[in-house]
Amino acid sequence: MKFLILGATALALVLLPATAFAAAEDQANDLSNEIMSPFCPGVTLHECPSPEAIALRNEIVDWFSQGKTRAEIMSRLEDEYGPQILAAPPAEGAGLGAWLLPAAALVAGIALSVFLLRRWTRAAASDDVEDVLAPAERRRVDSELAALRGPR
Amino acid sequence: MNLGGLGRPSIALALVFASIALLLAVLGAIKKRSSIAESGRRALTMSAVFVAIATISLLTAFFSHDFSLAYVANYSSRSLAGPYMFTALWGGMEGSLLFWTLLLTVFSAIAISRARRWAHPDLSAWTIAVLAGISVFFLVLLNAPADPFTRLASVPLDGRGLNPLLQSPGMLVHPPLLYTGFVGFSVPFAFAMGALLSRRTDSTWFTFTRRWTLFAWSALSIGIVLGGAWAYTELGWGGYWAWDPVENASFMPWLTATAYLHSVVIQEKRRMFKVWNLTLILLTYVLAVFGTFLTRSGLLSSIHTFTEGPIGKWFLPFLALMLIGGLAIIISRLDSLRSHNRLDSLLSRESAFLINNVLFVAAAFAVLWGTLYPIVAEVTTGVRLLVGPPFFDRVFIPLGLALVGLAGLGPLISWRRMQPHAFAKSLRGPLITGAVAIAASLIVGIRSPGVLVAIALCAFTASAVISEFARGSRVHRSRDGLGLLAALGRTLTRNRRRYGGYVVHLGIVLIVIGFIGAAFKTERHAEVAPGGALRIAGYELMYEKLDRDATPEKRIFGATFAVQRDGERIGTLYPQRNFHTAQKQWQSEVAIRSTPIEDLYVVITAFDPDGSASVRAFVNPLTWWIWVGAGVMASGMIFIMAGAAPAPVPADVRRRVREVAVATR
Repeated sequence: MKFLILGATALALVLLPATAFAAAEDQANDLSNEIMSPFCPGVTLHECPSPEAIALRNEIVDWFSQGKTRAEIMSRLEDEYGPQILAAPPAEGAGLGAWLLPAAALVAGIALSVFLLRRWTRAAASDDVEDVLAPAERRRVDSELAALRGPR
Repeated sequence: MNLGGLGRPSIALALVFASIALLLAVLGAIKKRSSIAESGRRALTMSAVFVAIATISLLTAFFSHDFSLAYVANYSSRSLAGPYMFTALWGGMEGSLLFWTLLLTVFSAIAISRARRWAHPDLSAWTIAVLAGISVFFLVLLNAPADPFTRLASVPLDGRGLNPLLQSPGMLVHPPLLYTGFVGFSVPFAFAMGALLSRRTDSTWFTFTRRWTLFAWSALSIGIVLGGAWAYTELGWGGYWAWDPVENASFMPWLTATAYLHSVVIQEKRRMFKVWNLTLILLTYVLAVFGTFLTRSGLLSSIHTFTEGPIGKWFLPFLALMLIGGLAIIISRLDSLRSHNRLDSLLSRESAFLINNVLFVAAAFAVLWGTLYPIVAEVTTGVRLLVGPPFFDRVFIPLGLALVGLAGLGPLISWRRMQPHAFAKSLRGPLITGAVAIAASLIVGIRSPGVLVAIALCAFTASAVISEFARGSRVHRSRDGLGLLAALGRTLTRNRRRYGGYVVHLGIVLIVIGFIGAAFKTERHAEVAPGGALRIAGYELMYEKLDRDATPEKRIFGATFAVQRDGERIGTLYPQRNFHTAQKQWQSEVAIRSTPIEDLYVVITAFDPDGSASVRAFVNPLTWWIWVGAGVMASGMIFIMAGAAPAPVPADVRRRVREVAVATR
């Protein structure tokens, strides 16, 4: 049993740097999707094929494996390359409008359509065409129609 | 045979004929003389013939290496492979505008010739005028700032060659399909404007243009997917969509056109949404042209800027005229467009369609806003910002997922009115399927809430759509005594638009499943010496050897990687990194091992002199389903279009019906 624990610990120690590195690389890949490449116009660091971009991606992997946090790395990159490096504008200051307007447009669109739908439903209800069926008959027709449609 | 000399006179004549067409059509429309407008139609057809001659002459100049033409010298070389001479036609700004104009004039000629049978002469005349007007704009560009037939003072011995990125089979089909989509929307747009101008705003314009719209939309859809496939196999970053401004520019008209395809059904069934449909087709067309403007203006930096040129400033007034003019005409005709808007119940298919439209248009707006925001922010606040993929992902994905859910919900709700208990009953099956999908995902260890929601919605919608097929077939089985397949076949063919539409929805679900896979991608980067290996997600990539080779076009450096899994060899991959001599440019060729479960994607970003390779490897789960889903979508579209054309009542029949009606009054 002791031998097993010893063996497992040794294996863990051997694999630790590799797994830590893999974890750092995953974090770096994730981060490189969040920043624009300072080396190619208009693409994220993750997409950028230039050698400088590869070097910067490797550097970010190193930073993560040295235990730096994502926030630390982000602010370091922002200091070095300016706010244009952020691939999504911050939800504050000059970047706020980017986020607010689509949300506002959606809310306005939904509000308008709810308003119109209610208006059209009321208009239909107040139309002078009366329901030729009494409520009880209407219920019966509805239920027979439902039965005809069959079980879903 | 080199017909390059015919090019310039041909585009000059094409402009002359398009201008004549415009004048005659407007004159015919104002004077209400259909014979004058008919001459205008013929003039526009002649214009198409001359644009075709110009295009053929440019192609022959490519094939005969006539480097006295600047365009041929800039975009081809003696070593360029034959098929890519076609790619070179749309590889640069002038040529792509020529190709655009070819499609425009040919589509115009076909559409207005077919419309003669049924359209009122006034509607025809104004439609010809709009199409001729658009053609004049593009032909002016081809005759002045974007002349593809400019001659060089001194003729080079060889051309500069085509950008290696464009030398890919995908580039033979992706741009023509996108252009077919963009230009195809000119037809419904022109008929819509023609209907407004001639005050013939009854349903004929959209009944006739329904198939054109579907055709353009299908071409654009497939073109967009092929663009993604091209990016995936050529650009070497393991992805297929980057929310690049030009990708967005193709996606925005797709979103509004998709909204239109749905909302036009309401106009057909309920005579509602007339103004809204006109606005949507106007927006779709303006956004389609806006896409070209973005690519050509260099306003935003993009991977697509290889065709950037000085004509951006020509597009702005044209776009403004289309948008403002179009809106002004719609507003001026509001009286005749008043619909009798009535809705029996909030719980109805009509409501679902309206919500669908809100979501699509909001999505189009979000994409437009994100694309333009860097400019807006710089002008208003002076701050330079970039808006990249994370923004679009966060804003678009919730809307997209809501639309996926709605694609399942819509078919379950009946037209006009649905009783809540019937609705609850029809929801049961799809909801159970969604819940089972969530449970299964939790069991296999998926914990991300966003991914779980996406999976549940896909399962819900797939189940709802399949149950619609089952319900339809059941009726035919019990009523007509058909076997399972025959019943399904009859269900499909009895209502092609409806069931073809459901097939398209199933394709979308498969594509979204492919997108979900991206949440689980793995990426590794390493320097590997020959004999070494790179490990990624259970695979071992053994770098066996490096081969060098050369063709007249490029020096080829090809690596051989053995793909191993659990110690067993399961395949071989051959990524390359090549030096294109004409362009003095390095280009990586990706190697992909694609399966329904996951893609193993390998790209070499550099070779060291000792043969070590800088390798980037990706494991992309489920990407395969994107291309399969696109195939399913395409089959649904073809199925709808293969059906009999909706027959608008011919003009003479309608006139006779009116006469009889008057006589019997």
